[in-house]
Amino acid sequence: MASVALSEAEKVYIVHGVQEDLRVDGRGCEDYRCVEVETDVVSNTSGSARVKLGHTDILVGVKAEMGTPKLEKPNEGYLEFFVDCSASATPEFEGRGGDDLGTEIANTLYRIFNNKSSVDLKTLCISPREHCWVLYVDVLLLECGGNLFDAISIAVKAALFNTRIPRVRVLEDEEGSKDIELSDDPYDCIRLSVENVPCIVTLCKIGCRHVVDATLQEEACSLASLLVSVTSKGVVTCMRKVGKGSLDPESIFEMMETGKRVGKVLHASLQSVLHKEESLGPKRQKVGFLG
Amino acid sequence: MLKSKTFLKKTRAGGVMKIVREHYLRDDIGCGAPGCAACGGAHEGPALEPQPQDPASSLCPQPHYLLPDTNVLLHQIDVLEDPAIRNVIVLQTVLQEVRNRSAPVYKRIRDVANNQEKHFYTFTNEHHRETYVEQEQGENANDRNDRAIRVAAKWYNEHLKKMSADNQLQVIFITNDRKNKEKAIEEGIPAFTCEEYVKSLTANPELIDRLACLSEEGNEIESGKIIFSEHLPLSKLQQGIKSGTYLQGTFRASRENYLEATVWIHGDNEENKEIILQGLKHLNRAIHEDIVAVELLPKSQWVAPSSVVLHDEGQNEEDVEKEEERERMLKTAVSEKMLKPTGRVVGIIKRNWRPYCGMLSKSDIKESRRHLFTPADKRIPRIRIETRQASTLEGRRIIVAIDGWPRNSRYPNGHFVRNLGDVGEKETETEVLLLEHDVPHQPFSQAVLSFLPKMPWSITEKDMKNREDLRHLCICSVDPPGCTDIDDALHCRELENGNLEVGVHIADVSHFIRPGNALDQESARRGTTVYLCEKRIDMVPELLSSNLCSLKCDVDRLAFSCIWEMNHNAEILKTKFTKSVINSKASLTYAEAQLRIDSANMNDDITTSLRGLNKLAKILKKRRIEKGALTLSSPEVRFHMDSETHDPIDLQTKELRETNSMVEEFMLLANISVAKKIHEEFSEHALLRKHPAPPPSNYEILVKAARSRNLEIKTDTAKSLAESLDRAESPTFPYLNTLLRILATRCMMQAVYFCSGMDNDFHHYGLASPIYTHFTSPIRRYADVIVHRLLAVAIGADCTYPELTDKHKLADICKNLNFRHKMAQYAQRASVAFHTQLFFKSKGIVSEEAYILFVRKNAIVVLIPKYGLEGTVFFEEKDKPNPQLIYDDEIPSLKIEDTVFHVFDKVKVKIMLDSSNLQHQKIRMSLVEPQIPGISIPTDTSNMDLNGPKKKKMKLGK
Repeated sequence: MASVALSEAEKVYIVHGVQEDLRVDGRGCEDYRCVEVETDVVSNTSGSARVKLGHTDILVGVKAEMGTPKLEKPNEGYLEFFVDCSASATPEFEGRGGDDLGTEIANTLYRIFNNKSSVDLKTLCISPREHCWVLYVDVLLLECGGNLFDAISIAVKAALFNTRIPRVRVLEDEEGSKDIELSDDPYDCIRLSVENVPCIVTLCKIGCRHVVDATLQEEACSLASLLVSVTSKGVVTCMRKVGKGSLDPESIFEMMETGKRVGKVLHASLQSVLHKEESLGPKRQKVGFLG
Repeated sequence: MLKSKTFLKKTRAGGVMKIVREHYLRDDIGCGAPGCAACGGAHEGPALEPQPQDPASSLCPQPHYLLPDTNVLLHQIDVLEDPAIRNVIVLQTVLQEVRNRSAPVYKRIRDVANNQEKHFYTFTNEHHRETYVEQEQGENANDRNDRAIRVAAKWYNEHLKKMSADNQLQVIFITNDRKNKEKAIEEGIPAFTCEEYVKSLTANPELIDRLACLSEEGNEIESGKIIFSEHLPLSKLQQGIKSGTYLQGTFRASRENYLEATVWIHGDNEENKEIILQGLKHLNRAIHEDIVAVELLPKSQWVAPSSVVLHDEGQNEEDVEKEEERERMLKTAVSEKMLKPTGRVVGIIKRNWRPYCGMLSKSDIKESRRHLFTPADKRIPRIRIETRQASTLEGRRIIVAIDGWPRNSRYPNGHFVRNLGDVGEKETETEVLLLEHDVPHQPFSQAVLSFLPKMPWSITEKDMKNREDLRHLCICSVDPPGCTDIDDALHCRELENGNLEVGVHIADVSHFIRPGNALDQESARRGTTVYLCEKRIDMVPELLSSNLCSLKCDVDRLAFSCIWEMNHNAEILKTKFTKSVINSKASLTYAEAQLRIDSANMNDDITTSLRGLNKLAKILKKRRIEKGALTLSSPEVRFHMDSETHDPIDLQTKELRETNSMVEEFMLLANISVAKKIHEEFSEHALLRKHPAPPPSNYEILVKAARSRNLEIKTDTAKSLAESLDRAESPTFPYLNTLLRILATRCMMQAVYFCSGMDNDFHHYGLASPIYTHFTSPIRRYADVIVHRLLAVAIGADCTYPELTDKHKLADICKNLNFRHKMAQYAQRASVAFHTQLFFKSKGIVSEEAYILFVRKNAIVVLIPKYGLEGTVFFEEKDKPNPQLIYDDEIPSLKIEDTVFHVFDKVKVKIMLDSSNLQHQKIRMSLVEPQIPGISIPTDTSNMDLNGPKKKKMKLGK
């Protein structure tokens, strides 16, 4: 993972600041940096989003393709994740340098998103055992400025919200052979419900307190952090400890509570931004470097 | 301004793809009206007229432009092509839709749009900032296109108003879609249906005839009775074909029986290759050449191909019962093994309609506007058309296009397209047979001519590169009299070592026709020169065919030479190919060359050269025949034309001299040598010619016929066939051998061009050669041009190009060439048939000796050796009592009353031109000898009035 080298004095300065609920950039412990979200940025995907969280810059594209359902879940579609750690984010990712991180993030994303309680996988099924939609979620790391997981999860949720899957009909004749017919109206498409799609809130243990949305410098001061995935209703769906240090049960409970609280607020503001953006309609001028 | 267009597409693998295209909108696209200040009017190509002086329309008297929608363009292209219709705006949206739906109509509209006289303007509305529309929610692609068209129409009307205040110019939207028209009128666009508009053109009433009559869906139930079962939709057919319930194939109507057809099944399915369809209902509105889906009937309903000759003569629609009776007539008891797979058409996969030539059969009812049209091609059913000019069209050759065939109609509906001229006129008939056989015969376009070398032409230094100078050799050409496109010349000389050097020099056409240019494309399209009795339709422009490429005597010409060193036993010791420059010393006819060889006192260079060639040719021919090459025969005729009227005054069968076979022998040798060379060099993409061995069943008729004369014909190999044909002689019947050879020719398969990488059977059955190609006539065959290019690359005399080594492209070329060659042959035959008619018209009625070639159930097919003419003698006529006919399929023989007819029997027939039926003037033959009371006509009544009673009979039949 991308990291910065800090001197002992700098670390002390940060730790002491956190102790006082005052972070280097002036935030409190439960404050997020400013998040920029823009959807529908890549026109040849089914859905896409770009999220900027401080210096962290993430682009997510969702591509819907037809496939066959998995044997154990004959009437569900599924999601596939691929995370590309671009070398433009940090020179360490050059060559195969980013592969380990990419796989780690992808595995986390599988655990959090690819289940029917987060995404309604049944709507992705076209005909049981034969055809279903497979959503290929491609995550591209453009810049790392700390708190990757949270930024990625926001971007994935925004991209899923933006995803439009063409509506298809299965025609069946007397002989039982099936043919797939595509609607010729491009507006005739399925939207996914993102109601239950969780977001990740990462809590970094710094000193005796914990902070959300840690910057790279803050991450360098933390020995252990907790990844909590929270739905908009404040339900924790998944939890994972990251880092080499240990956490005592009491502080885990505390951190979970913080995660729930912060997560609910995060969901609410994301939701309102997404709806606001959509209400601008297709004529909205695109901004950002892809506009 | 940049927009991106996004659309979804289904991939072949069944997936769905999202495709994004960039789409640029511009604001500098002109409206096409000259003098429009806003657009600057600066653009090239045809434009609209500033003040259209169109034939006055009673609906909109002021000057106007027309703006048709897609369906009008697709269905009423014949109207739009009429010179009376000018100033039409063709939208890009419309053009694109037309292109997706019908390639031929697209080509036609492009041709019209390029014609300056027509003032058609193509407006790129999809890229115009103000007329571009995006697909909206809940709108399908068709609705969007309709809206785009309306938006453009509206824009035009507003735009033209801006031009000047007192401008009366209007754009009229033409659509046949009722809803679209209503919407347009709501939006303030003047809109009419095509029919309304054309009918309002009071000055051009003839245009109404060219309207395609498309019945709107609601009207279809008008005359209740449904004759045909419904066609299944394409999606069902495809599923059925996939699952094997239906079979897909090409529908081929029978020329001799309108109630019967065969379907050639596509694919490699060995059994059921050919399916028989019998009866109107089973044919189910399929028309010759359509791609159809058929369903096999249960074995109990299988039938055998009938040997009855039946022509559709009914005028009346309600004759369906009668048809059924006729259908029953086809189903006579036949032995089990004669039964063939039988089926019925369940749906049409692709229509292959084209405009058909033919004549009008005027309706009996005087005022009626509905008439039947009888196509010249007997495989095409009659077509019902609506016209007001029936009386002027009577007795003319006309072109009619089919619009559709409703389920309740006995005949398809169509509309009048073009009047070709009076029937029987030589120009009209030639035009008809060229059109019917799809022979491209328009004069060469400017684009094509621009690639011709500039005159005066001479050989330059550059041309001499990679070329051998053979001008010193004593080369001469031998051709039929009057030949101006000489593509081969020969020489033969003795070398110092005692061996002979033989050269075949072929016109170097590929030097002038460079790959890929318009000249090359046009020649590739034409494929072959077509020789009609009095006309030649050139494959390459005349400058090349009769001058620069023609190896005329005493001028320097570029050639491609194939030079062998041979010993006196005609064994090839060395072969050399080279591009060369030659100077022919003499252009001889076959007769002149023969004369030189035969006259002992001529000993000049040319004559010795000819004698040497002749000697070698004889050895070559003998060797070829030993290998099993077939000598077949087909009666060929040549007309003596009157030099002024160009009417045939005499007929003569072609005479064959030794020199004919001498030239032929060396051409064969050159072709074989070249074939070997190019295949050696380009094993995957050599253009070769093969002649497949016919299946044994083809010979059945020949073997049976010979057996009836106590002769045995062996057909297991080409060699045994050749030998048994040689042995089949009868001392009392000298012509028998020729007849057998004519029959054998009919058993053969077609020789075809193919690409060596696409096939592995190269054998040429007729010539008994393992490999063969065409090299020797590049002026008149495109295949030879390709072979020249391949050979030139092989010997390093020319450079290659990508298409030359693309075997799929080559396979496409072969396909076209095979088609063109077949069509050229048919056109040639049709031309001979027409001239034979002209000949007998002037000659009157004659009686001649004839031989029976085939025996049919109710007729015999005879050959008259004197004229090389073949004809059918019918024994059943409508108003006469039917004689008792007993047909035996095994021998085969036909017994009429007490007389039995066998194949090869000698008969005497009376030949006359039957013009009672103006539709098809034909040579009619009737039996004179042997005499059968009630059937044969007495020999002495030569001035019988043939036309009188026949006319009466037609009326009775109605």
